[in-house]
Amino acid sequence: MIQSRRSRIGNALTYAAVIPLAAFFLIPVIWLVSLSVRTPQEVFLGASRLIPEAPTLANFGQVLTDGGFRLYLWNSVKLAFLGAAGAVAFAAPASYAFSRMTFRGKPALMMGILAVQMVSGLVILIPLYRYMDRLGLLETHFGTTLLYISAGIPVTVWLLKTSFDAVPMELEEAAAIDGLGRFETFLRITLPLAAPGVASALILNVILNWSQFLIPFVMLSESAKWPISVAIFNYAGATNATTTQLLAAACLVAVVPTLIVFLALQRLIVRALTSGALKG
Amino acid sequence: MTATSAPRRAAAPPATGGGPAPARPLPWLLPVLFFIGLFYLWPIIDALRLAFTDASLLDREANFSLDAIGAMLGSAALGTVLRNTAVFTLGSVFGQLLLGLAIALLVVRGERNNLRGMLVLRTLVLAAWVIPGIANGVIWQMLFSEAPFGAINSTLRLVGIPPVAWLSNPDNAMMSAIIATVWQGTAYSMILLYAALRSIDDTLYEAAAVDAATPWERLWFITLPELRGALLVNAILIVIMTLNTFDVIISLTGGGPGRATEVLALYAYNTVFYNFDLAGGSVLSILLMAISLTLAAIVAMFLPRSGRP
Repeated sequence: MIQSRRSRIGNALTYAAVIPLAAFFLIPVIWLVSLSVRTPQEVFLGASRLIPEAPTLANFGQVLTDGGFRLYLWNSVKLAFLGAAGAVAFAAPASYAFSRMTFRGKPALMMGILAVQMVSGLVILIPLYRYMDRLGLLETHFGTTLLYISAGIPVTVWLLKTSFDAVPMELEEAAAIDGLGRFETFLRITLPLAAPGVASALILNVILNWSQFLIPFVMLSESAKWPISVAIFNYAGATNATTTQLLAAACLVAVVPTLIVFLALQRLIVRALTSGALKG
Repeated sequence: MTATSAPRRAAAPPATGGGPAPARPLPWLLPVLFFIGLFYLWPIIDALRLAFTDASLLDREANFSLDAIGAMLGSAALGTVLRNTAVFTLGSVFGQLLLGLAIALLVVRGERNNLRGMLVLRTLVLAAWVIPGIANGVIWQMLFSEAPFGAINSTLRLVGIPPVAWLSNPDNAMMSAIIATVWQGTAYSMILLYAALRSIDDTLYEAAAVDAATPWERLWFITLPELRGALLVNAILIVIMTLNTFDVIISLTGGGPGRATEVLALYAYNTVFYNFDLAGGSVLSILLMAISLTLAAIVAMFLPRSGRP
């Protein structure tokens, strides 16, 4: 009896802490949604119109058509997916080697790959800006994608190594007996068996690339090439108090795709985060 | 520290007889080595070289010079910027660790007792993490704004409390930037600590129950010591992430008012891309890298041995 009463009090205390915390994380997004469906008049009524009396979707229409946000969305999709696919494609063979082969210098190399991830993008981008300029890759999505790939590679190597580690060796040995070469074994046996891990790595890269700001901000100055993060930043600088509802709509447009991907694939993402991160 | 949770690792040495051909790792590693060499190592070396020149972003000629180093390290702004960086990093890292730990403990407790809604809390916290940093700054600006549409101030006005200058007062601006950063970054600490909490051996708690330990004693004598490795690794990672990023700050305050929220990464960025001072920016970015590595090394000294695979 005492035990159960104590745990009931404990549960009540748990909720007493959980509810304000949940509110802290939820309210900013609710406010964004609220502003994005208001008319300019209602924007100025502040918190008293949390639920607007005359909600409108016109702000989204205006942002997507006149604001050019459809193009920015497309640019973001392109850069995020190409960057993620590139990072996974280039990292996978190395992860396989780290998972399956023993060779001299392996631990040092793996720690080295982890260490470069800690280098600020700024240190790298300052000299790279000049190379890219000389190679004619400034202002191109190709050059930008190369940088997205290199930003994603270190963490991807580790994520994929962890998922290859979980594939039983016996299957590969059987494949070798059947005469499959090492690369064929990797491509036809290990990679498909590690598919959930590969998918998590891909999604995590897409989400991180969607947030990427510094690389495109430095590389791309022509607005037609901007991903949505850079577009939002410039739009925020160009709007004023009378167009807050448009900025809110634009911001929501930038946030919703990544939220949908996250909510749909939360389990994979959480797994990628915990498996990769705990190796740290 | 995951040794207990992953006992069925398959990475045994290659089996003898009938196993795959002998390892020749180089072709496998080549793509990664190419990217790391070209996009990490070479630029770092070049940044070091540029720090000893008078290079500007606009012209390609650069001569050996120590002027940039002298000018940057002697500049009056650097002291302010370093102080801002220290306050911002300390505030953000402690905020994220404490809040992340609190939420992880709550969620694990809730799950053990089959309470509803724990997944909702975890999802909300993680959702903030996937929001791009730039959007995060814009969203918090709408919350902190002193204009009529500012969420916090208009709520305060409704209940008759005078509005607060969240962003235009230099002291508050730093706090506001830290709050926005913690809002977004807590997810990372929460998920790491959540995974670490779940991997703590249950028998430790069963033994504590036999000894009639209070919840506080369980936290202090079992949970926190068991989490030590995870907390330290977590601290290293978020210290470095916090030092290196400025997208929340650039869109929330732009570094202002004045220089009140200008951190080292933003200062380095401005030096290169607004003042076109490539050499000066290289000096600052190398200083940034040196600070990150030093802090990471200091925290790593407290790691328990054999933490790494």
